[in-house]
Amino acid sequence: MNLHSKWDVLRAALGGTVASGVPNDPRKTFMPDYDNGGDTTKAPHPGLPRLIFRRLTFRTDHKAIGLRYLWLALFSVFLGMIMSLVMRIHLVWPGAHLLLLSGLDNSPDRYAALTLLHGSLMVLMVLTAAPQAGFGNYLLPIQIGAREMAFPTLNLLAFWVTVASLVGVTTAFFFAPQAGLTLWIASIALFCVTALANALNFSVTTIDLRAKGMTLPRLPISVWAWFINAILSLLIFSILLAACVYLLADRILGTHIFSVPALLSSAAFNSPAVALPGLWQRLFWFFAQAQVYVAILPCFGIVTHLISTFSRKPVWVHRAVVLALCAAGLFGFCIWGQHTFASGLNPYSPLVFSLLASSLGLPASILLMSWFGTLWNGKVQLTTAMLFALGFVSLFLAGGLSGLFLARNDLTSTAVSDDFITGHFHLVMGIAATFAMLGALFFWFPKMFGRSLDERLGKIHFWITFVGVYCVFMPMHWLGLISHLHLSPEVMLTVATAATSAIRSLVTMATLVTIAAQAIFLANFVGSLLRRGEAVAKNPWRATTLEWSLPSPPPIGNFVGAAPVIYRSAYEFGAIANRAEDFASQTLKPDTESPSKPGGGGPSLQPLPPQAAAM
Amino acid sequence: MPGTHVVDDIELIIEDIGGGGGNKPPAGDDHGGGDGDPHKRRKPAPTSPRRYQTAVVLAMLSIVMFFMALAVTFLVRKMGSDWVPVRLPFMVWVNTIVLLASSGTLELARRKQAAGDLKGFRRLWEVTTALGVLFLIGQVVAWRELVAKGFYVSTNPASSFFYIFTAAHGVHLMGGVGALLYVLFRNFANKPLTQSVAAEVTSHYWHFMDGLWLFLLALLYLGK
Repeated sequence: MNLHSKWDVLRAALGGTVASGVPNDPRKTFMPDYDNGGDTTKAPHPGLPRLIFRRLTFRTDHKAIGLRYLWLALFSVFLGMIMSLVMRIHLVWPGAHLLLLSGLDNSPDRYAALTLLHGSLMVLMVLTAAPQAGFGNYLLPIQIGAREMAFPTLNLLAFWVTVASLVGVTTAFFFAPQAGLTLWIASIALFCVTALANALNFSVTTIDLRAKGMTLPRLPISVWAWFINAILSLLIFSILLAACVYLLADRILGTHIFSVPALLSSAAFNSPAVALPGLWQRLFWFFAQAQVYVAILPCFGIVTHLISTFSRKPVWVHRAVVLALCAAGLFGFCIWGQHTFASGLNPYSPLVFSLLASSLGLPASILLMSWFGTLWNGKVQLTTAMLFALGFVSLFLAGGLSGLFLARNDLTSTAVSDDFITGHFHLVMGIAATFAMLGALFFWFPKMFGRSLDERLGKIHFWITFVGVYCVFMPMHWLGLISHLHLSPEVMLTVATAATSAIRSLVTMATLVTIAAQAIFLANFVGSLLRRGEAVAKNPWRATTLEWSLPSPPPIGNFVGAAPVIYRSAYEFGAIANRAEDFASQTLKPDTESPSKPGGGGPSLQPLPPQAAAM
Repeated sequence: MPGTHVVDDIELIIEDIGGGGGNKPPAGDDHGGGDGDPHKRRKPAPTSPRRYQTAVVLAMLSIVMFFMALAVTFLVRKMGSDWVPVRLPFMVWVNTIVLLASSGTLELARRKQAAGDLKGFRRLWEVTTALGVLFLIGQVVAWRELVAKGFYVSTNPASSFFYIFTAAHGVHLMGGVGALLYVLFRNFANKPLTQSVAAEVTSHYWHFMDGLWLFLLALLYLGK
């Protein structure tokens, strides 16, 4: 019985007891990485407050760091969601005095600043941090059979710099606009540095730390996705970093990289500079182009993984999926070249093209094909995790179809307003990715905390959220189209305006309901963490990858004792020779007659938990 | 359910292989959770030093992208109407020679190391480090030379780029100096990373910094 959620940790650290079969060495709570061998503490009992402090701050265990990223993302996502709510309410009732908007000086800048903050929190701290740094950190080393990330200390450092970046981004909101922007850019530059450190760590770990027998074809698709994403991040975040360096030089050192002084003589010291947005936009979109993929690639991996597991079938056209993921990474670069010719300096076009490519490009079609092919004739188990994975597919498809409209340059330029684009990219990038993350959370929660989330609450949460996000973002598309319509003289302006305001109200109502529904999730999450006693089996979903051969939660160092040896590919589901079960763990020797080998997880496995099996 | 779970645990808790950390009494009476690794793991399973080589290659890839973005902006910005070329300070040429020389001594040091002459290796490595520091000081002198001529960071875009390029390169080179010092002063006994691997990885990075400087210098000189 190896329970140790954060709560257990705290409870235990505060003097309670946790049923633990093994004595525990407190030294291991402090930097248990390879370099120092854990001999940094003097006393075996460092004192409880210090112990808690160390556990929370200096643990280099990749699982602890991954969890911390998830906590950070959870905090950010709720903060960002509150902001979107404030913005929606402001749009419908502009006169209302709202938190954040009417707080400081009531200037119209506040709304723009709120949008910026919402966007940067969601894109960086949630969409970039959670699927890659959070789940990736926790699971990638385990799934490849490694004991740690390649550079644990770097990993820890990157996490704390991410926290600093989050603090910077958030506090920037409360400064005067100019100072706030400078702080914001500096925080983004910090985030670039951590993203680069993480990317380096992830790619080196995948390249060099795989267990014996974990050949590239045997890698789980999720690992492939994290790996390709790491390589992509490694390349693009340095571009954004360079752009941030220039921007900071412009703002702090008074250089004119992205602007031309209005008069070249030094007499006109105060004259406003003429901005050169094109240069900045090119640098920025080179990054942003690929950033869409950075957010969505790990989600592809997670969803593929989940669909295969819950269809009880191997990933259909496995190799094509890997190639599609690689191609998606490559596309991040290639498509940008197109823009310099096709769209020049229009700031929306690159976004449009990138989203189009991510949703309708060849790789995406292959992935969709593979997901449907895997589902085809599979013994589909509609667990909450699977529902969220299927929700991802649905949202991704819907968002992709609206991308078709945006691909038309004539439509994009003026006719289709901001609303259409907002609806489109929220659906395809933000919400779809969030669904993948929720699916991952429901799937791996038993592994992370030793107990499972409540399936019934999870399903209620899923359905309300699923319907809710469609009600929020589909009408946004209509809004965009209506504002296009009322440009033509046949349509009465008043009718269009009335319809618009009705739709806006609907969107705001739907937002309220959807955000309120997240309380169900929070209750489920916190409730499951605090629930005592019942421990789930180590492989509740009867999955094949390595993490399910470990106790829940896995110990520090993951594979205590012997390193695992891999004999099988990642998705051996269905009828397997000499097996009563319909799956074979990656560590199961192919010629094993009896399925009760250690690591195979054969007869000792639990069937699905009753709630999960109910549906 | 609990019965089978115990079986699962037994499967994984395999005999202690480390034993290196046995000087501390196990103290896990209270705080628990399974996250404390019950096994001393002073000597982990042999880890591949390859990871350092892989890391430096990938880091170089990333740094190339960073400087490419800087360089592309330079090339685009150069076409602006307010571009006033800046004469490179004389000092940068001296610095270039210093940096090239440091690469040379680094290679000589590694040859000594391969030949087993650790004393010679150490001395040449020290010379390399000194040359690296000298280069950084020289860059500051070059800045002062430029300032004396009245070219500040914000004077015009050309001077801005000079300062930004040299500063960015300098920051990356400081990392290199740090690595040189690490190889010099780190105690490599009983570590997965051996001194020769560390020296090799550092030399890759150092030569890369060297090449990068030549590229930036060419860009600044030819592109003015």
